[in-house]
Amino acid sequence: MKQRHLAAEIFQGLAAAGHESGELFLKMGRSRRFELGSHGRVSGASREVGWAVRAGSARSSLFLAGSGLPRPDMDWPQSDGKAIQLSAARPIPAWRPPVDLDSSLVAESEAIALLEGIERSLLGELPKSRLIRGLLDEGTSETSVFNTLGVDVSFRSRAASLYLEAVGPWGGESSVSLMVAAREVRRLQPAAIARRLANRLALEHEGTAPAKERGEILMAPPVAIRMLAGLLPLLVGGGGMRLARRYRDRQGRIGSSALSIMDNGRYPGGVLEAPVDGEGSPTGEVVLVDEGHFCQALLGWTDVSGSARPTLGCMRRDSWRDMPRVAPSHLFIKPRPEVAAGSLVASVTRGYYLVEPTGSGRFDFEKDQFWLPVCGFALRQGNVEVPLAHARLEGSIGAFLQGIQTVARDLAFQPLGGMVGSPSLLVTGVGLSRTA
Amino acid sequence: MPFVDLDTTAIARSLSQIADREGDLADAYFERREEVELPADDDPPGIRVWRDEGFAIRLLRGGNTWLATRDQIDRSLFAESLRQVARVMPAAPYPQPALRIGAFPPTDIPRQLLRFPQSITREIRRRLAGFPMRLQVRLHRRWVRVVGTQLAPEQQEEEFFSLQADMPWGQYGALLPQLDAQAIEEVASSLMLLFKAREAVAVEAGHWPVVLGPSACAVFLHEVVAHALETDTLVLGGRIGAARGVRIGSELLNVLDDPTGGPERVRRSTDDEGMMVVRRWLLRNGEVEQPLADLFSAQHSKDLIPGAGRRSHRHLPPVPRSSHLELLPGDSSFDDLVADIDEGLFLPEVAHGSIDPLTGRLSLRVPCGLRIRNGEIREIVGPCRLTGQLSDLLSSVTGVGSEVVPATGAGWCAKGGVKLPVWATAPAMRLENIEVAS
Repeated sequence: MKQRHLAAEIFQGLAAAGHESGELFLKMGRSRRFELGSHGRVSGASREVGWAVRAGSARSSLFLAGSGLPRPDMDWPQSDGKAIQLSAARPIPAWRPPVDLDSSLVAESEAIALLEGIERSLLGELPKSRLIRGLLDEGTSETSVFNTLGVDVSFRSRAASLYLEAVGPWGGESSVSLMVAAREVRRLQPAAIARRLANRLALEHEGTAPAKERGEILMAPPVAIRMLAGLLPLLVGGGGMRLARRYRDRQGRIGSSALSIMDNGRYPGGVLEAPVDGEGSPTGEVVLVDEGHFCQALLGWTDVSGSARPTLGCMRRDSWRDMPRVAPSHLFIKPRPEVAAGSLVASVTRGYYLVEPTGSGRFDFEKDQFWLPVCGFALRQGNVEVPLAHARLEGSIGAFLQGIQTVARDLAFQPLGGMVGSPSLLVTGVGLSRTA
Repeated sequence: MPFVDLDTTAIARSLSQIADREGDLADAYFERREEVELPADDDPPGIRVWRDEGFAIRLLRGGNTWLATRDQIDRSLFAESLRQVARVMPAAPYPQPALRIGAFPPTDIPRQLLRFPQSITREIRRRLAGFPMRLQVRLHRRWVRVVGTQLAPEQQEEEFFSLQADMPWGQYGALLPQLDAQAIEEVASSLMLLFKAREAVAVEAGHWPVVLGPSACAVFLHEVVAHALETDTLVLGGRIGAARGVRIGSELLNVLDDPTGGPERVRRSTDDEGMMVVRRWLLRNGEVEQPLADLFSAQHSKDLIPGAGRRSHRHLPPVPRSSHLELLPGDSSFDDLVADIDEGLFLPEVAHGSIDPLTGRLSLRVPCGLRIRNGEIREIVGPCRLTGQLSDLLSSVTGVGSEVVPATGAGWCAKGGVKLPVWATAPAMRLENIEVAS
């Protein structure tokens, strides 16, 4: 109520300064931050309060943001000659806030126990390895958006993230790192996380580089997620439609019938689950690729006009400092509940099981090429033959999309800008080579 | 001048209540920032202004740091933060010191900021060229004041500009002390070089003699000297003190970090922990003299001198980082540096650099360069990557230029997720037998 009153006063102040339309974005939150590393143990507690105002008309506009709360009588900076468009109010479908919003933030003792637990498990998995950095963040926030076109919404969020960096017992080798996110710190599983780190370290040390190889490639979720993140130019923004035309086959498909991709701002249990986007427009599920058919790219409401204008919002705003931008919130490849990842491993007669990406790779849509550094295992008759490292998954982007044979049910998400998710994918038509 | 009237005595008294053990260190860090951005033409709304202020209270005890931060400067929030950081609940509530700070004045948008994109376009046209480009310019202003239990140095101020250009063939970024005629000339020259290099042939992979221009030399030194000698890097390899006195590079290398000697508007007399800055010899004749240390590291080693603690913002603890690197000039003219090179590269700019603190392996991404053939600068070449081990690279320096250009931006440093502007004063430098990958 207080905030609605503040918004009205701000809009009055803007009108008096000649700005006919305006938007007020308010965000308040609390967060805890814990770090183990070269600077010992750091324990932080923050209260963040910030706001942003966009205002103007068809002829001029301004943006002003700050910490604390805005004052209605403040001096507005000069506007310039660029027009501003604000989102009109739209009906917001019912949304049940997640139950974890009211649970307390992680305490110092819990956070240290989690980080030390990971360190202990890592040592158990790989003796004499070392966690050189552990960084745990957890926060809750309340966001409100008001504008002169009737938008008046508030919602709460919660997120936790964990960044880890570790070195193996061998010395003289690079560290490996891992970033995971969840709604609550309490959902993070130290043993599983430590195992992932230990696997990465062991593979990097013991794995052999492949020669030029082809065969069935089974991508575990972390690798498939990085592949999906590499496809963002195809799936997000105005350029996506143009790129999609290039990858269409005679049946109008850009990918195999096993491939369906969607974005969902209301993904149940998702880290970025919210009823509205950063401009107050309702969120929901948007199908981008349906059984290989390209339906649409994720577009903002200002990207298209008339009846083609999207009804669901996807303007992300990570903090009060950021301008709204078209971005996915939970972008994922649709899993198949009847397919277990284990059955896919067993089904590979001669191929590779790629478990982790070891870098961000490169996706060149003009040349229809990609490469992604990876590590994993060579498989023969469903069994691990040799560990694999210093390898590069490579091929044509089109061949990857068309070569997805099967999708498993083990959907997992990772924070890569937004939350990007994928289950394990069995793919043919792409290859492996040695990294330079 | 927002923090000149702070009642530092009352704040110090409050802090001393939480620093209740011998060796404890408590401080309050007050920060105000203002940023003004002129975005690219196709990116509404237009002028963007951010005004941000708050504080952080820190308690350092042994190997532990406790930090409480707020986005408003208010006496009740200050007392609440003290309580969060304190290790023992006090018998009485913490006092609420009066926090008198100046109000945010109306934003002053410099005319040169508004004119800069047109000035660049005009300068490029004057060179008979024209190409599509999205240019974003930002003014950064920052005021900080640190109050400790015993020290309350003066408020510090910084003001500088950053620029980001996006072109169909790549990106260009720069930190600029001012938007004056020299900045226009430098930016336009860099953009022109990138334009001319857009279809240049790639460099053949191999080992070449390389001459780094002052700007590229600044990034190189930031990676291989500054990052290597930060105490949070050194601690990964074992004892920090063991680095002192070790020769890690050519005798021609005399490298200092001097926060008092950077561009005028970013000069500092104290760091972000309120400690006096020093003109710190990092390398003297190629030998490590004094690593970059903050209070945390200096508490654990008597040989270290604090004064290099920097904070990207109040919500993160300080880290040891360089502010303004200085490579003392040698005695070679630019012509001397290239004179006897039969086949090599002159690299005026580096787009991005990184060093692996565990392996000491450096990677510098170079957007373009110029070939040196028979002692003369010849045609433009495309992008390449310089790689090598830190000690090999520093030992391969065979010439340092005598012509020093004024201090300028070395770029944004993002080590460990902490984003900080870094500055440098460096002449050109020659290195032998450097691994160049295409």
